[in-house]
Amino acid sequence: MERRKYPLYFSFPAVAVFLLFFIAPTLIGVYYSFTDWNINADSVTFIGFDNYAALFQEPRLGKALSNTLIFAAAVTVLQNAIGLALALVMNESIKMRNFFRMVFFMPYVIAPIVIGYVFRAIYHPEHGIVNTILNGIGLDFMAQDWLNDPKWALFSIIVTDLWRVSGFTMVIYLAGLQFIPKDLLESASIDGASYWHRLKNIVLPLIASSTTVNILLSLIGSMKVFEMVMVLTDGGPGYTTEVFYTYIRSTFSMGQMGYSTAINLVLFALVTLVGIPVLTALKKREVEM
Amino acid sequence: MKKMKTVSIVLVLGLLMTLLAACGGGNNEGSGGASPSGSAGASEGAKNSDPVTLTFVISNTEDTTAFTKVFEAYEQQTGNKVELQALPGGDYDNLIKTRFSTGDFSDLFLMQPGTKQYVKLRAEETLHEWSGESGVWDNVIDSIKQAQVENDKIYGVPYGSTGMMGVFYNKEVFKQAGVDVPKNYADLIEIAKKIKAAGFTPFYEGVKDAWPPQVFYYTGWVTQVDPAIGEEGVAKLNRNELKFTDIPELKDLFAKQKELKELDLYQKNVMAGTYDEMQNEMGDGKVAMAFMLDGIISQMEQKFGKDWVANNLGFFPFPSETDQGTAMITPPNQLMVPEKAKNRDAAIELVKFMLQPENVDLFYANKPGIPIFEGATSELYPVQEDVKAFIDAGKSQVNIQNRLTASFVDFSKTLQNFFLDGDIDKAIGEFSANYQKDGKAKLLEGF
Repeated sequence: MERRKYPLYFSFPAVAVFLLFFIAPTLIGVYYSFTDWNINADSVTFIGFDNYAALFQEPRLGKALSNTLIFAAAVTVLQNAIGLALALVMNESIKMRNFFRMVFFMPYVIAPIVIGYVFRAIYHPEHGIVNTILNGIGLDFMAQDWLNDPKWALFSIIVTDLWRVSGFTMVIYLAGLQFIPKDLLESASIDGASYWHRLKNIVLPLIASSTTVNILLSLIGSMKVFEMVMVLTDGGPGYTTEVFYTYIRSTFSMGQMGYSTAINLVLFALVTLVGIPVLTALKKREVEM
Repeated sequence: MKKMKTVSIVLVLGLLMTLLAACGGGNNEGSGGASPSGSAGASEGAKNSDPVTLTFVISNTEDTTAFTKVFEAYEQQTGNKVELQALPGGDYDNLIKTRFSTGDFSDLFLMQPGTKQYVKLRAEETLHEWSGESGVWDNVIDSIKQAQVENDKIYGVPYGSTGMMGVFYNKEVFKQAGVDVPKNYADLIEIAKKIKAAGFTPFYEGVKDAWPPQVFYYTGWVTQVDPAIGEEGVAKLNRNELKFTDIPELKDLFAKQKELKELDLYQKNVMAGTYDEMQNEMGDGKVAMAFMLDGIISQMEQKFGKDWVANNLGFFPFPSETDQGTAMITPPNQLMVPEKAKNRDAAIELVKFMLQPENVDLFYANKPGIPIFEGATSELYPVQEDVKAFIDAGKSQVNIQNRLTASFVDFSKTLQNFFLDGDIDKAIGEFSANYQKDGKAKLLEGF
C-alpha cells in the first residue's frame, strides 16, 4: 500500500504554537536564570553563573536533592510493583472485577491536596486512625508521630502518594495485559509452564511498553512532587522532607525570580539526566508482538 | 427601489449614531468615575451624581464585618459602592505582589503593619503618600503613626486595633492549681511546675503549624533583648551592622525555650501541636498557658463564647528576670491606595471617611479592640484591659518585626528543627543567616 504524503507546511501551525508557547518560554527561562531578576529591583542584569554558584552553596539544596531522589526511587519502584500486582489480579475472572478496578483507580482522580488533608487526620499521633488501630490491637510500640518525626515523615508521604497513584499504573498495565493473546498463555499452560514462568517469559516481555510508560511517568511525576509534601508536612519538620519544589516555592516567595528559575532548570536537567538513560534502557527490552 | 435604498441608508446611519452615542456615554461614565469631582462628594457628604464602585482587597483571614458596616455608611452617604475582594490569607502577600507586578491594582487594600511593606511593594513608585494629607492624622496616636514613618514618608494609614503577643492563660486552671500570674521568669517556671503537678498541661506549643513557636521569641524580645541592645541596637540590626548571633540575650531565649521542653512543660506530642488544638485544649481547661498573639481572643470567642473569654482568658507579658516584663504590641494593619488605582481619588476620600470619629466608633462597635485613635470608644475584654494597663503605664513596646525592614524568613522552620535537635548555636546561626539573605534579596543597604 502506498503511504500518502502530506506537504510539510501542514505542520507549520502546530510548530508555530509549539515554538511560541513551549520553546520560547523555556529559552526565556534559561536566559532569566542567568540574571539577577528580583521583584525588589528596578532592572534585570545579566550575572552569568552567579545564581548557580549560590545555589550549589545552599545547604537546603542537598537535602532537597536527596529527598527528591529517595522519594522518586521509592515511588517509582513501589508504584510499579503495586500497580502490576493489582493489574494481574484485576485481569483475572473475579467477582465484582469492574467495581474493584474503579475502587483502585478512584484515588487518582481525587486532588492531591484533598488526599493530603485526609491523611493528615489519618496520621495524627493521638486521634489518627493508624495509631488508634495499632493501639487497639496491642501494637502500641509501633505507633508513631508519622508526619512530625523526621524518621517517618518522608516514609508517610511516600505511602500516601502510592495509595494515590498505584491505581493509575494498574490501568496502564491492564491495557497491556489485554493485548496478550489468550491462546499464547493457554498453550504455555498446557505445555506445563507454571504461573511464575508464564509471567516471567510471556507476560512481562509482552507488556514491556506499558512498563516503559509507567516507569517514565512515575519517575518524572515523582521528581516533580509538590502538593503532597506541601499539605502533609510543608517540607518539615524543619527541612527534613524538603523537596525541589518546596524549596523553589520558598525562593519565589522571597521574590528571587532569577534564582528560582535557576533551580527550576537544575531540576529540569536532573529529570533529563535520569529520564533519558532509563528510557533508553527500557526501550531496548521492548519486544514486538 | 430607490426609496428602499434611502430608507436603508437612513436606518443604518441611525443605528450607527445610536451605537456611537452609547459608546460615548460609556466613556463619560468611566472617566467620571475616576474624576476628582466625582470623589469630592464623599467628603462633602452629598451623594455623587456619578457613583463609582471601589474595589477593596483584604485577606480572607480577616473578619470583614466591621469594614462592611463602615462601607454601608459610606455607600449611604456618597452613593459610591465598595466591593470586597477577599484573597487567600496564606498567599496574600504574594498575590498582592503579583497583582502589582502585572499592574492589576485595586482601589484600596489592607496590608500588614509597618514600613517593611514599603520595600515589598516598592511604595515610592506604586503607592499614594499620606504624610502630608489633611484629615488623616488628626486623631491617630503618635506612636502608631511613627511606626509607619520611613524617610519622613508614610504610605499606609493604620486602621484597626493594637495587637498584642504574650502569655495567654486560662484563669480557671490557674485557680485550680492555686497559682497567680508570675512576678518574674523564674516564678513562671515555678508556676508551670505547680500546674503540671496539679494534672494540667502548663504550656501548649503548635509546632506542627510552624508559626506559633515564633511568638515566644517576639514577646521575649521586648522584655529581654530590647533593654539589652536599645534603640541603637535595633538600628544596627536594620543596617546589618549587628548580627543576631552576637546578642547573648537572644541566644538565651533559645535556651529558655529548650528548657521548657527539657522540663517537660509542653503538651505530649509537641511536634504535632496545632493552633486549633491549642484553643480546644485551653478552652476545655486542659492547658494552662500559651505564648500567643491576640487572634486567640476572637477564635476563643467563636468557639467558647463571649462569657468564656470575659471570665476565663487572662494575659501577662513574657516576664523578665526581675519583673513582670514588657507587653509586646503590634500596630494595626494599614490601608494602602495604589497611585495608579482606577478610582484613586475616591479611594483617598474613602480612607478619610473611614477615619471620621463616628465611623471609627462604628468600626470598633463591630470589632472591639484597643483603639489607636484618640477619643475613640471600644468595649474591651478584661484580657485587653490587661494589655491596655501596660500600655498606659508605659510598659509596652512594638514588635521587633515591625521595626526591622528585613524579615525573619523561615524562622518557623528553624524553630521546628530546634524543637527536634535542640542545637542552640545551629538555630541562631540559621536564623541570622536567613535574615541576612532576606535583606540581600530585598536589596537593602548594608546587606
